[in-house]
Amino acid sequence: MSDAERRVERGGPYVGSPIIMATVRVVMPFVFTFGLFVMFHGADSSGGGFQGGVIVGTVVLMLGIAFGIEATRDWIGPRLPVALVGIGVLAFLFTGIGSVLLGAGFLEYAVYGDLGIPHPSKYGIEFVELAIGVIVAGIVTGLFFAIAAGTTGGESA
Amino acid sequence: MTPLELAVLALIVGAAFATAALKSVLNSVVAFGAYSLSIAIIWVFLRAPDVGLTEAAVGAGIMTVLFLLTIVKTEHPDVERTFERVDLRAAGVALALVVVLSSTLFALPAVGDANSAVADDDVTEYYLENAYEETDVKNAVTAVLAAYRGFDTMGEAAVVYSAGVGLLVVLNREVFG
Repeated sequence: MSDAERRVERGGPYVGSPIIMATVRVVMPFVFTFGLFVMFHGADSSGGGFQGGVIVGTVVLMLGIAFGIEATRDWIGPRLPVALVGIGVLAFLFTGIGSVLLGAGFLEYAVYGDLGIPHPSKYGIEFVELAIGVIVAGIVTGLFFAIAAGTTGGESA
Repeated sequence: MTPLELAVLALIVGAAFATAALKSVLNSVVAFGAYSLSIAIIWVFLRAPDVGLTEAAVGAGIMTVLFLLTIVKTEHPDVERTFERVDLRAAGVALALVVVLSSTLFALPAVGDANSAVADDDVTEYYLENAYEETDVKNAVTAVLAAYRGFDTMGEAAVVYSAGVGLLVVLNREVFG
């Protein structure tokens, strides 16, 4: 018996549970919305990109636990989490460089008002929070899939 | 200290001891999740909801799931006893560390002390007075994180990026390589 087979036998393959599936189906949109709320509303109440990103990442974890980690990984694809992380870092970086190009200091949001954006500081901060959230959500899902890969044999992903 | 705070404090200490003393790793992980959650509640009592939210989401949520996924891969033999046998030498080292760390407690200001350096510092007062006018943002914590210390936060994002991508490369090579 190979190592992988034994692992599947002991850890148990994925078993679908109608209760968990139904719960996740109902709860998931609310958790996702709450994550986005924490991310955007971090400017006016407690919260922010890090916390909101983790909560949004949790949605993928719940999907994985309810519908099988392999199936969820196949659905999302191996590249998307890493791509999201890269996009988030670049968005943050270009927000900073953009304000330099417009003639102000690094990450000096007020200068974006010259482009006609109302409340440039507020929306600049919220954009940066969103970028942080995308980074964190991507890392959380990527780590989840990478760590879970060994438990189910690993070859199929 | 209110009875509620005392109860949460007792929960923290109890969960911490349970994490250390339980024999089965699975039980320890669950106790650790309870510990993180009670720490998160304490953060809210200490008027730090931002930190509390992070602790609840990362410490109690994500870490528990990642720990559980990891121990699924390990052997977990049937344990006949619930608690670990206490190793006196290890307990002595842990106790010594606690004593050393506790000696710094008396240097801290009381919770909510109006005269502490944190409350009447010039930097704190500047942020509290000017953050809303200068950044349009009501949460002073976010104003400091994303505007005044935006460069630091970008560094943090870069750390998360490089640490995460490095881990993913290593783990994926381990599993699929």
